[in-house]
Amino acid sequence: MSGFEKDGDTMPKSERIYLRLRHRVQVKPDQRVTLNQIAKLVSNLEDDRRLENMVVHQVSPQDKHLIVIDVTQVVALLQKRFPDLEVEIIGPTQSILEIVYPSKSPRFLWVIFVWLLLFIGSGLTIMNFHEDVSMQEVHQRIFEMLTGEKEEYPLWLQIPYSLGIGVGMILFFNHLFKKRLNEEPSPLELEMFNYQQSIDQYVIMNENKEAQNKLDERS
Amino acid sequence: MSVLKAVFLIIIGLAGGLAVGAGMVAFLTVLGIAPRLAQVTRTAHYIKWYENSIVAGAVFFTWTGLQDMLFHLPKDITLLFGLFAGMFVGLLAAALTEVLNVLPILAKRIKLVDKLIWLLMAMVFGKVLGSLFQWIIFIPFS
Repeated sequence: MSGFEKDGDTMPKSERIYLRLRHRVQVKPDQRVTLNQIAKLVSNLEDDRRLENMVVHQVSPQDKHLIVIDVTQVVALLQKRFPDLEVEIIGPTQSILEIVYPSKSPRFLWVIFVWLLLFIGSGLTIMNFHEDVSMQEVHQRIFEMLTGEKEEYPLWLQIPYSLGIGVGMILFFNHLFKKRLNEEPSPLELEMFNYQQSIDQYVIMNENKEAQNKLDERS
Repeated sequence: MSVLKAVFLIIIGLAGGLAVGAGMVAFLTVLGIAPRLAQVTRTAHYIKWYENSIVAGAVFFTWTGLQDMLFHLPKDITLLFGLFAGMFVGLLAAALTEVLNVLPILAKRIKLVDKLIWLLMAMVFGKVLGSLFQWIIFIPFS
């Protein structure tokens, strides 16, 4: 017969919740962020909707792009609202809120621009590489070595060579027709993950520093 | 005197070869091409064989290349050789791009994380067509 009927302060001491903050949450520019949106709660309460729907943060235009919610903020809020609740924290101690604004510029123009940039750039890079290592001479030499004939333009060798470059790159990134050769993440996905992880870590540290500065300014 | 010269040459040759060989292995290790191939083909057990094949290939082609050796094979063989050579260069290029971390940063900057495959294909087509252009048009007509 436990649970909280009125203000939550009627709860017995044994009421305990386990709180696990989500690492990264996307929110809308004017969203009221509730606890269950940024955290996974496990409790033995019969009715924990009030807990789950507790507003942790109201997103405002001053928030720019990222907000870091520290677990101490959440615990402070919980203690104020539900003084008898025991909170056990598991997992990450910060949650990063990413505010997703509706994009203004048409994205497909960007895609075309970047696509052409990469296309022309990588084409030029491979040509520079070939010039750099005298690939033409190497191909002539290989052609002569294999067939015994001299050939100034060994296209028999060079056309499959060119196609092979594409095959090799796709093989490395394991993106053959989107169908996985195996379940493991590709190097690109890992790289993407590491990059995101570094950004998150930077944001967490930086935001904490900013909070300290603000406190100093106030005193 | 000539024995001294010979000994000297042997030492220089050996030292040069050691440095170049070690450098090449270090380079390939950093790029991680062999492990990647083993992972894709699920043959991680045979990674030792792949190491041996790299060493054997380097030694074989160094030796035959220096000896002016001719094999008089049919012309079709060059098609296969070219394909394999190209695939390896493609692996190298992809691994280098990956080490330099170009694509993740770019995709993140312009918010195209879900279109990463497009960016990748742009580079693949760029390299293939750039290479074809070089052999078929750029070099013969310059």
